Amino acid sequence: MAALPDTGNSWIRELLGPSFADERIINGPAHEYYVPVEEHEFMPAAETLSLHKFVLISLFAVEGFSDRAPCSLFSVFERKQHVLVLIRDVDGNAASVAGLFPAASWFERECHDGFGIRFDGSFDTRRLFLHECYPEEFHPLKKSFHNQPVEVKTGILPKNEYPFRVVHGEGVYQVPVGPVHAGIIEPGHFRFSVIGETIFNLEVRMFYKHRGIEKLAEGRLPADCLGIAETVSGDESVANATAFCMAVEKISQIAVPDRAWYLRTILLEMERIVSHLNDQAGMLVDIAFPLGANQFSVLREECVRSNALLTGSRFLKNRICIGGVSQDISNSTLSGLVDFLKQFRKRYKVGLKIVLSTTSVIDRFATTGVIKKSLLRPLNITGPVARASGGTVDVRANHPYGIYDRYAPPVRPLRDGDVLSRFTVKAAEIMDSADLIERLVAEIPDGEVCSSAPVKDGYTISMVEAARGQNLCWVRIRNGRIDRYKVRTASFCNWLAIEHAVQGNIIADFPVINKSMNLSYAGTDL
Amino acid sequence: MVNAITCLFRKKVTSGSAVPDDEIESIGRELRCEIDRVFGHSLAIRELDTGSDNAAEIEINTLTNPFYDAERFGISFVASPRHADVLMITGAITHNMAVAAQKTYDAMPSPKFVVAVGDDACTGGIFKGTYGVLGGAETLFPIDLKIAGNPPSPAQILTGLLALMKKADGTRQQQSP
Repeated sequence: MAALPDTGNSWIRELLGPSFADERIINGPAHEYYVPVEEHEFMPAAETLSLHKFVLISLFAVEGFSDRAPCSLFSVFERKQHVLVLIRDVDGNAASVAGLFPAASWFERECHDGFGIRFDGSFDTRRLFLHECYPEEFHPLKKSFHNQPVEVKTGILPKNEYPFRVVHGEGVYQVPVGPVHAGIIEPGHFRFSVIGETIFNLEVRMFYKHRGIEKLAEGRLPADCLGIAETVSGDESVANATAFCMAVEKISQIAVPDRAWYLRTILLEMERIVSHLNDQAGMLVDIAFPLGANQFSVLREECVRSNALLTGSRFLKNRICIGGVSQDISNSTLSGLVDFLKQFRKRYKVGLKIVLSTTSVIDRFATTGVIKKSLLRPLNITGPVARASGGTVDVRANHPYGIYDRYAPPVRPLRDGDVLSRFTVKAAEIMDSADLIERLVAEIPDGEVCSSAPVKDGYTISMVEAARGQNLCWVRIRNGRIDRYKVRTASFCNWLAIEHAVQGNIIADFPVINKSMNLSYAGTDL
Repeated sequence: MVNAITCLFRKKVTSGSAVPDDEIESIGRELRCEIDRVFGHSLAIRELDTGSDNAAEIEINTLTNPFYDAERFGISFVASPRHADVLMITGAITHNMAVAAQKTYDAMPSPKFVVAVGDDACTGGIFKGTYGVLGGAETLFPIDLKIAGNPPSPAQILTGLLALMKKADGTRQQQSP
């Protein structure tokens, strides 16, 4: 694998061949490159990218992008700092890349439900976010459909129900779980095929919470979409709002004041700390170790209360806005946060020591729910889950946004890929985030926190490292209004990994494996 | 390493809550009395997410952490709707969840109460009138109480439950004159 130059677009020609001349390549505002390709050029290009260890990080459709066809398919490939988007014009059918990039399977099913595009050669053509109740040939993301209540089917017959993969064999039986679970968690269906106590196969079925986030944003003014971006997933509202605002700012060339970026970064890191603490507490609850769980849930509640002091919202909502942040946070409040973090860190270390020196915890965590490193690229696994399996991906380091180029976080991968590694990776990230916030508060400049500038038309991609990993969004503005808001959260990618992580484990370990991956159902279902 | 022997011989102390929360304590005391009186010492709640952004569930979960510890007021979150007195709905009712939500409600024994937690569950919120949702929780079943907020804080949820107790008491007195 040859190293690619950091700048310019000559690497695209080196990879894909001389026919990819400069005039074919469109430079995006976020240093991403768009290349419109013919259908026959696409598969060879995808094969080359696959050979050169590119990862398919998103695949989505946009209507009305090209004059030549009603729909255009955007396939987004990433390797380290390089982002390449191949655009295919599609009228009805397109070739499937799920054989080369298995992560494409969910993306393609999503495109089919939204736009009615059929993928030739795809190994899974079941509907994804539209469950059985939705009428046939209903494609809500088409422009011809205006967002309004639809007539749904009731009384679905068993033969029309969703066909799960069936595992045959002596002694194999199925355990259906969900969508309503025993605890206070979000809805999703898990179909286990079990031999004895050991899980032989798991199929997850999601999208019970599909609310139509992407359609909801269409036709609105960008400033009116902030609430929608925050609703993608309540516990990563800063990350999703920041990703959306960054896209609009890049398109409109709005310069965000430095102080605003410091404040955004502080909020992003606080969100990460709270999310990781919640996971760690949850993992310990799932192995019935309340002494350890309570250490972390107490600290989490204290962090949430400091969030409320910072922004007036326990979930840091309503603070990120286009051009910066909607309201300044005073330096005295920020130094109060640093005082809190100082004692937080001491108590966190005590909690960590209690947990990691308890043999029954290690016994449950170690070698449980292993995700192999070889799965990271094909399934596009991201975030702490990938870093616990030897991955080195972190948007803050690979595509630094805002002030992360000056405050790049250390990427500390572990190799084992089990629940224990994910627990430890998150512990290290909590400490790193606390350190980073202290540095940011010490060095924050004075000044404006929001710059106002008119919104311009255009399109771009934007990526943020949320607590769960890479959150990506693609925004297109036409006539000052949102034409397409595509969201792809880290959870959407990581859900497929759990099907692999649980194999060979027992059902009783499923909750802790699930919690260690911390997947947002809302962020997946949209 | 935490040494077990040191723990054994160390002087035992019972420390108070690190952050005494007078608001929660006073709501909790009142709630405890009402639950004792109206529900015979225990209120069993089944939480059901029908399409929220997950913040509301997190706040309901927070009620069980050591800061709030709602169990000491007589509230328990139960695994099965068959054991529940109250169904707590979070999020607008999505089409994909409607059947499961109806089955959960039907599985509950009567008398049953339904509480909508958060703006989306109360009215459908920003999703009202869109293709993916039926609307607020009341489009599927009768609602006894709405707790507004995006999301409501744990203290607001407890205050809401107190209002529910008063309402349930009123219904009970009407039924048995």
